[in-house]
Amino acid sequence: MALETSAHDNDTPARPVPYRGGGFRPRHKRGVGLIVFAILIAIAELGTRQGWISALTLPKPSDVFWTLVEFWQSGRLTQNLFPSLTRLVVGAFLGTLAGIGTGLMIGLFSAARAGFVPLVAAIFPIPKIALLPLFVIWFGIDEGSKYALIAFGTFTPTVVATYGAVDNVDRTLIRMGQSFGLSWMSIVRKIVLPGAMPGILSGLRISLAIAIILLVAAEMLGAEYGIGAYILQAGSLYDLDRLFAGVVILSLLGVVVSFGVGKLETRLLRWRV
Amino acid sequence: MSVFNRRQALGLMGGAAALATLPMPAIAQNRKVVLGALRFTSHAGSFVAYERGYFAEAGLDVELKFFQAAQPMAVAIASGDVDFGVTAISGGLISLAQKGAVKVIGGGLSEEAGIDGQKILVSDAAFQAGVTSPAALNGKTFGMTTAGSSFHYMGSKIAAKEGIELKFKPLQKVGAVIGALKSGQIDAWSIVPHIAKPLAGSGAVHIIGNVADYVPDYQVTTLFTSEKNAGNERDLTKSFLSAYSKGAADYNAAMIAQTGGDEALNAMVDLLHKHVYNDQPREKAAPSIVNGTMRLNEGAALNLASVKDQLEWFQAEDLVSKDITLETLVDGSYVETRG
Amino acid sequence: MEIRLDAVGHRYDAVEVLRDISLTIPAGKITCIIGPSGCGKSTLLRFIGGLEQPTLGNVFQVGEQPDGCLNALTYIFQDFALLPWRTVAGNISLVLEDHGLPKDRIDSVITDVLARTNLSDFANALPKQLSGGMKQRVAIARALAVNPAVLLMDEPLSALDSQTRDLLMEDLVSLWSRTPFTAVYVTHNLQEAVRLGHQIVVLSRRPGRIHEVVTIDAPLDQRRTADPDLQQKHDHLWHLMRDEARAADAELVHGA
Repeated sequence: MALETSAHDNDTPARPVPYRGGGFRPRHKRGVGLIVFAILIAIAELGTRQGWISALTLPKPSDVFWTLVEFWQSGRLTQNLFPSLTRLVVGAFLGTLAGIGTGLMIGLFSAARAGFVPLVAAIFPIPKIALLPLFVIWFGIDEGSKYALIAFGTFTPTVVATYGAVDNVDRTLIRMGQSFGLSWMSIVRKIVLPGAMPGILSGLRISLAIAIILLVAAEMLGAEYGIGAYILQAGSLYDLDRLFAGVVILSLLGVVVSFGVGKLETRLLRWRV
Repeated sequence: MSVFNRRQALGLMGGAAALATLPMPAIAQNRKVVLGALRFTSHAGSFVAYERGYFAEAGLDVELKFFQAAQPMAVAIASGDVDFGVTAISGGLISLAQKGAVKVIGGGLSEEAGIDGQKILVSDAAFQAGVTSPAALNGKTFGMTTAGSSFHYMGSKIAAKEGIELKFKPLQKVGAVIGALKSGQIDAWSIVPHIAKPLAGSGAVHIIGNVADYVPDYQVTTLFTSEKNAGNERDLTKSFLSAYSKGAADYNAAMIAQTGGDEALNAMVDLLHKHVYNDQPREKAAPSIVNGTMRLNEGAALNLASVKDQLEWFQAEDLVSKDITLETLVDGSYVETRG
Repeated sequence: MEIRLDAVGHRYDAVEVLRDISLTIPAGKITCIIGPSGCGKSTLLRFIGGLEQPTLGNVFQVGEQPDGCLNALTYIFQDFALLPWRTVAGNISLVLEDHGLPKDRIDSVITDVLARTNLSDFANALPKQLSGGMKQRVAIARALAVNPAVLLMDEPLSALDSQTRDLLMEDLVSLWSRTPFTAVYVTHNLQEAVRLGHQIVVLSRRPGRIHEVVTIDAPLDQRRTADPDLQQKHDHLWHLMRDEARAADAELVHGA
């Protein structure tokens, strides 16, 4: 049959095979994200200037910008940013360090797994904000409770990411380490930990975003200065310019953190295929 | 635990008198009006006018809409979901006024000589350490719900008059402030007497002064509405104010002057119990309602001097824009004003 | 050093995997173990290397380790088991680091084994940059670095295409010819067994028992594919394995 048709290929109509592939492959389009931002901001600016967006609905983007400029020039940006960054760094550092430690324990020891996994599952869904008053009693109303909240919030996702990552470390590599008589510590340090690093880092991405979210919550109680306190204050004053200025700062913080983790990933995970 | 908003708490100090100065306006044509309320006795004027049909007589078909806190009520007025409300002057209210959303049109409640007002509290730890008068609060922490709340204002006024420095700790909710004060996490706070006294009675905190000594004639809560109602719906607003004032007058008469004796007092408690502490049995609710008695501003009269002082303080603290004038915040054409 | 297995048997729960395996792995020779899938040959190799313990019988090391031996029983795995985050040199260094050797000693060992496996130019390459054959060469270099008494190779060429496999077999032959080593080589591939084995152990299907032990005396570096003697050995082995393989295959199909 195939031969027959090919024999008649002068008479039978020939059509190009229709192309059915393509799509489903995200491509890097430079600048599109910026354009979307620019268009949305331009619409908001136009609307607030011409009045079809009321001053109650949205602040003027240019006002937000000048609020940010003023915020910076008056020195209050550093006054508020510095305590927030300290809380973020200390809290996230303690939380992720404890999280990686606990995650490794769960990944390495069956007893720790049996003991901690249900505990972590029980802790994970607790809105950490709900525990804030308790943390104030435990750790004091000053920096202690803020560190604790952020640390606690970053702890559980890090634990889950870490032990998942340890579980996913190629067992043949561990078997190889044993077969060469490597010590237990060497296997953990040189095989398990680097092997779990991709999972730990993607967990870090999530837990640092959570840390930024919790920053606002942490500064609800007893914070005189801080970006979160600034946003909360602007909210209670219904000062939309400052509210949005604060939100912009948090967004930028998120972008910077995500960029930092990305850099860390390319540095530490150069070996990945 | 049920967490009080501070303005709700302040609301417990209700009391008002008849509105002689307000002429009864032409009967509005059965207008649908939404009135924002908190379940506290400071809203007694609204409850009495509602239950006794004063709103209906004024041609207003009032629907009560209950809020958990005063801040969302101010926002609901700005969004047009609520027409009238009662709350303390806060930075948020001023900002909303600046945006042309709300207007203060009358007084709800003010501190006055002869009536127990807000108390200055310190934690037991601070008291034992020698903080027995407001002058000794230098460098101490002072609790507040949020920056720009009336606690912030009161604390600042105390500090200014004593020439001391206070560190303000925002704790978002009245419940959190109470907890922090009891456990000694903060040193001082100020609050309405019927909350202050039981706290002091427990020994966990101590009363060391009266706010009235630092903020004379403090206009604590105000009546407010949307700018649209204040500017373009004068008849509606007048009808509302006169009906509300009748309710407030009834309340003051029954609870403070006690002109009707126990019978009138009990009838008033029954009425209020429909809306206030209505999750508790009457016998438990009654003492709380009676203890929360405060005189509501007669005829919704407004102390402009106090409002002006508050506005200037908010501006001095850079909490609200310096461009805002008293006229932006207040429409003084409806009620008797002082100062 | 030689290895002696004495009546080794093993079961996983209800399933008997190996039965009564008694065998001597002679020093300086390559012993190939072949058998159908699921006959327990990889399990047997894990017993020999001490990564798993048999339920019955014993595995003995007989004789002294060679001088400078850091890891007497050393594996080469089917999937190479290289750490992807370490360079070629780093992967070899890994197995030397725990022995407290001076830095220059480690470096000289690495240089030496890379030279022996023709990898000197790739010392700083990451595994992801290497082909499968190159990766297995790195694994062989790593195994040689610890100067093992016995090399335990678990289907080391199965993951490679046939040309690469031939090249690596030549490499192994030349390595052995220069310095004879003791090795156990598990495979299911008859060509590999005939090309590399001095002694070929044929296991039956599960439970694996020793079906026959075939010895090939021809020196490794003189074995040619066209050699009629080797062809005859190959046919004989195939004859031994065919029925077992078919039966094992049918067992798997029936989900036994």
